[in-house]
Amino acid sequence: MSKKLAPYLIAAVILVAFPPLLQSYYLSVVTMILIFGLFAMSLNIIFGHTGLNSLGHAAFFGTAGYVTGIAIVTYGIKSFWTSAPLGILGAAVIAAIFGIIALRVSGVYFLLITFALGQLLWTVAEKWYSVTMGRSGFVGIPAPDPGLSFLDFGSPVGFYYFVFVVFGVCYYLMACLHRSPFGYALQGIRERESRMSALGYNVWLYKYIAYITAAIFAGVGGILYAHFNGSIAPSHIGFSTSALGMLMVILGGAGALWGPVLGAALIILLQGFASLLVPARWPLILGVLFVIGVMGFKGGIGPHLVRIVVRAFSHGSNQGRRTV
Amino acid sequence: MEAIRVEGLCKRFGGVVATNNVSFRVDRGGRLVIIGPNGAGKSTLFNLLNGQLPLDGGKVFLFGEDVTHLPLHKRAHKGMARSFQLTSLFPDLTVMDNMMLALHGLRPSRFNPFRSTGSYSVLRDKGKELLSLFDLWSKRDEQIKMISYGEQRKLEIALCLAADPRLLLLDEPSAGLTASERQAVMEMIRNLPPDIAVIIVDHDMDLVFGLANRIIVLHFGQIIAEGTPEEIQAHPKVKEVYMGIEEGNGNA
Repeated sequence: MSKKLAPYLIAAVILVAFPPLLQSYYLSVVTMILIFGLFAMSLNIIFGHTGLNSLGHAAFFGTAGYVTGIAIVTYGIKSFWTSAPLGILGAAVIAAIFGIIALRVSGVYFLLITFALGQLLWTVAEKWYSVTMGRSGFVGIPAPDPGLSFLDFGSPVGFYYFVFVVFGVCYYLMACLHRSPFGYALQGIRERESRMSALGYNVWLYKYIAYITAAIFAGVGGILYAHFNGSIAPSHIGFSTSALGMLMVILGGAGALWGPVLGAALIILLQGFASLLVPARWPLILGVLFVIGVMGFKGGIGPHLVRIVVRAFSHGSNQGRRTV
Repeated sequence: MEAIRVEGLCKRFGGVVATNNVSFRVDRGGRLVIIGPNGAGKSTLFNLLNGQLPLDGGKVFLFGEDVTHLPLHKRAHKGMARSFQLTSLFPDLTVMDNMMLALHGLRPSRFNPFRSTGSYSVLRDKGKELLSLFDLWSKRDEQIKMISYGEQRKLEIALCLAADPRLLLLDEPSAGLTASERQAVMEMIRNLPPDIAVIIVDHDMDLVFGLANRIIVLHFGQIIAEGTPEEIQAHPKVKEVYMGIEEGNGNA
């Protein structure tokens, strides 16, 4: 047990101790990684675990960001404990509606319908000017106000810790979900739907709940992002962000829980360097990266990394497999 | 006391009549074996019984209740379990994970998103018992794709029993097994609790005549003979079909 917890403890210590020492630019990169890591993990609930290829997951990320922003700026709801649940509720409601439509089909049709629904929402965000401020995005979203006075959440370090705690809680919840009977049922559905029905599982209901759950976690990411950026734009609802999330999951590896976080870290770090060195070439780099990732590291970079680390540290051939 | 009763089941695939006005009933404790040449519609019939395929006509009653329009998973909750002809397990999960999925299937715990699936010690004990019964306990941490075909077939049946079914549908339980494995499967079926109703589709004549107390012979989707094993063995039409000397116009 302690052996299993060790990597998490090390990661937590690093994430708590070092960021305050970083320059504010690098601190913002780490913050971004946690936010998009959360988003990619949420996508992995349906994409990796349940086997539903959604290309419209940013719809929930963006909707939650917009709803929170509108609640705070337009309606003056200051407390994070009210504005954030509203954002989450927004994402959940949209998912509840989209799920009923998209889950009537599967496979590539599911992909296309989620894509279309995401673009639909993107259009709404862009055209409904009186509410969303249109194409340039909804601006003026302040730092979160959770009513705790010991930290200044407006400062980069304060906000970082805020994101870190939210990320940690969400990670823990998703880890529980993954190992729970519900989580295993999702994996069973991914592998053999008909058998799951024969065993007494209501497959549709599971997919529906998983879809909404994933939307809720994506929504949390979107809310953090809206606070982080101070704004949220139609592109955060649309295809580009959805596809970015999918790249993160595929590149990092859908198998392990932390795989998508690794994918997010990789893409955001590279994006950062690319924007400094060759700003106009980012899409090209992303494309090449994706091809290499898919062709060279089947199942994502995560599992390959684990194998290298295990080989470096192990002195026996003890292949520990997961035991129930 | 009847376990399952079907009346006038019909199923067409385009112009092909796969199931043609099939009616029968199995009582509790009954052991019905369905035989017939390849393509006689045996698997289709199974898919109609458990709700995997929608009916074109007819009715299905489970323990006296009309379940014709009940989806698959709800029939499972009424006590029906089935195994699949083509092994239908969860290949990336371990043997024990497969078993735990089957054990949670009919319990409210299947919706629990917080508790670890391995922490349900009562279910784990039951899983251990079932896996031991099928000599699979030592393989519990192996992924399905790593165990042999025979072991997969055994697990296939073990998963059905996890639900404590009152009606068990076994689709070719002995297919692809070695002689000794067949023997073990037969023994296992014979040792099932006597009040369970069992319907089996199989080609293995030892198994068919060793287990059945009633046999149905299916040909081109129709029941051409029904009776005790002795009656079926003496049935002229059955001999005809199995010898291959019939007109082949579908109305033999």
